[in-house]
Amino acid sequence: MSRVLIIDDDEELCELVSEYLTVEGFETECVHDGESGLNKAVSGDYDLAILDVMLPKMNGFDVLRKLREESKLPVLMLTARGDDRERIVGLEIGADDYLPKPFNPRELVARLRAILRRIHSETGDQIPAEKIQVEGLELSPSSRSVRLGGGEVTLTSVEFDLLTALVREAGKVVKKEDLSENVLERSLSPYDRSLDMHISNLRKKLGIRPDGSERIKTIRSVGYIYTVL
Amino acid sequence: MNLFFKIFLWFLAAIALMVGMVVFLNWTVQTEPVVGRWRNSVRNQMTIYAATAAQIHDSEGERGLIGFLDRIRNADTVSEVDVIARDGSVWFTDAANVESYQGLVEKTFASGVAEIEVGPPDTALAAKHFVLDNGDSFVLLLRWERPRPTPFFGESPLRYLRYAGLLLTALLLCWALARYLSSPIQKIRKATQKLAGGDLQTRVAIEVGNRRDELAALAKDFDVMAERIESLINSQKRLSRDVSHELRSPLARMNVALEIAKQKSNGDTAPMLERIETESFRLNEMISSILTLSRLESGSRDFERREIDLTALVESVVEDANFEAAAKGKAVKIIDGDECSVFGSENLLRSAIENVLRNAVRYTKGETTVGVTLKTADSKARIHVRDYGSGVPEDELNNLFRPFYRVGEARERKTGGIGLGLAIAEQAIRAHKGSISAGNTGDGLEVEIILDCKK
Repeated sequence: MSRVLIIDDDEELCELVSEYLTVEGFETECVHDGESGLNKAVSGDYDLAILDVMLPKMNGFDVLRKLREESKLPVLMLTARGDDRERIVGLEIGADDYLPKPFNPRELVARLRAILRRIHSETGDQIPAEKIQVEGLELSPSSRSVRLGGGEVTLTSVEFDLLTALVREAGKVVKKEDLSENVLERSLSPYDRSLDMHISNLRKKLGIRPDGSERIKTIRSVGYIYTVL
Repeated sequence: MNLFFKIFLWFLAAIALMVGMVVFLNWTVQTEPVVGRWRNSVRNQMTIYAATAAQIHDSEGERGLIGFLDRIRNADTVSEVDVIARDGSVWFTDAANVESYQGLVEKTFASGVAEIEVGPPDTALAAKHFVLDNGDSFVLLLRWERPRPTPFFGESPLRYLRYAGLLLTALLLCWALARYLSSPIQKIRKATQKLAGGDLQTRVAIEVGNRRDELAALAKDFDVMAERIESLINSQKRLSRDVSHELRSPLARMNVALEIAKQKSNGDTAPMLERIETESFRLNEMISSILTLSRLESGSRDFERREIDLTALVESVVEDANFEAAAKGKAVKIIDGDECSVFGSENLLRSAIENVLRNAVRYTKGETTVGVTLKTADSKARIHVRDYGSGVPEDELNNLFRPFYRVGEARERKTGGIGLGLAIAEQAIRAHKGSISAGNTGDGLEVEIILDCKK
């Protein structure tokens, strides 16, 4: 049973979400402020955290930033609907996914499951996949680490999976639909920008090649390509 | 015409008229006495000359007289000397047609005093008789140069300089005065335009400066008004924002409670629960739109700006809209797509174009294709979104971009809009200093977005 930590100051909402998630087969615990949320999150007792942005004492972003200093605990952020900046910042500082509030609880469960599946496949029972190497970029699926030109690049689990999917097909276009289905585990819906956002974060983290070209190119209205020289 | 020029020209005209009057009056008043004085002096001189001529003839004879006449002629003021005897015979002359003087000669003999006849321009013929010792009578005629009245426009350059100085002073004075009167009005007008354009923080009293007249009072009143409007609008906006914000928490709880109810429900309540879900979804959409709009309206222009490939953006939005439209048997297509990049916020521009497109898809008739064009000219990008719906009554076109404005209540309900999409689009475009407008094409509506292209 997966243990989920809910960090949200709306106590009633926490109760309801707990009830719903319990029925769906999760074990939950609620905390209502940022500080205690962070303390619990780093304890290692949980598989996943749901983190609201608006929190007393320490806001969600600060909690996430502190958390990322010592833990890779998957985090799903609850952002204010319509506030693009919140979700961009959230993903940039290492949230695994985001959900605008008010959310549909079914969607929440689907996202939680997707994140957990990814984690399980990592720590996985399957045979660890071999390292993939492309021009100085080295992905090791077993440790889920990325090295670029000798240095380590820290990626969130979604970013790692996206990069893996692209690099496996290096030099070929990977369709957006496929990336969404295989990595985000949901079908691509119109007006959904999360894929673009993850890719843009990935670009920032990888940087450009010495000759100034982008590693990941956008093929308009089709998908993305990891370019090889 | 511009107020500044009006005031300037009126003052200039007034000054010019006044100066003209003064000069003219001065000239006429000055001219009369000059001519009068000259007549008297000519008369006196004629009497003296005539008497002298008689004495010289008596004492020195004809030769002496001729010498005397020559001397007279050498004077600057006399150009012609004639002497005519009583019987009409010409004794001495410089003129070609002495006969024409006969009248004057007769008159002089008759009156016995000096007579003056104003002749050809600027000269006058004066006559006086004299009697010799031997009883012969003659008339002495002298043509005198008339004194010219001081010319209106003097020849001396100094005079011109004086007029130029006068003119320049008048110009400067008028300019300063016109400027003094019109510049605060200009400033107040600019401020009014800014306020009307939505910048509620516009104030003008400081700019108008330290005056103590009606214009300064007007500027102060303007500030009071702007202050009042600003606080009213802000409190209204804050209210709608806070209400929307607060509504989200219960809505979030309701969503979760609804799902729990669904988990526990038997089949009977399922359709109603679905219905509740749909309505809560709508509520949610509406609240996020209000929040987006109020964020845009609050003028937080500090959104992240960077260079954006507008063509790619339009293509990607069209693709999404087409996907959505396909479900309703409609389509969205790019007809023309010039290359263009703009400087701004991708999210805002995306939501603007998206809202316009969704609106077009909503209203275009089934089986039709919404056409999108992107054209660039004169460093402006023009995006046209054309639908094939029933259009909008002409007098309601401008209201289209007002929040919650509905063209025909029933129509809007059926099509499921909430009346905020175009308002959001307008605010987003405005935040990029662009413009958005709508017009009927005859068989549909066309929305035009104009943005500055980045070179």
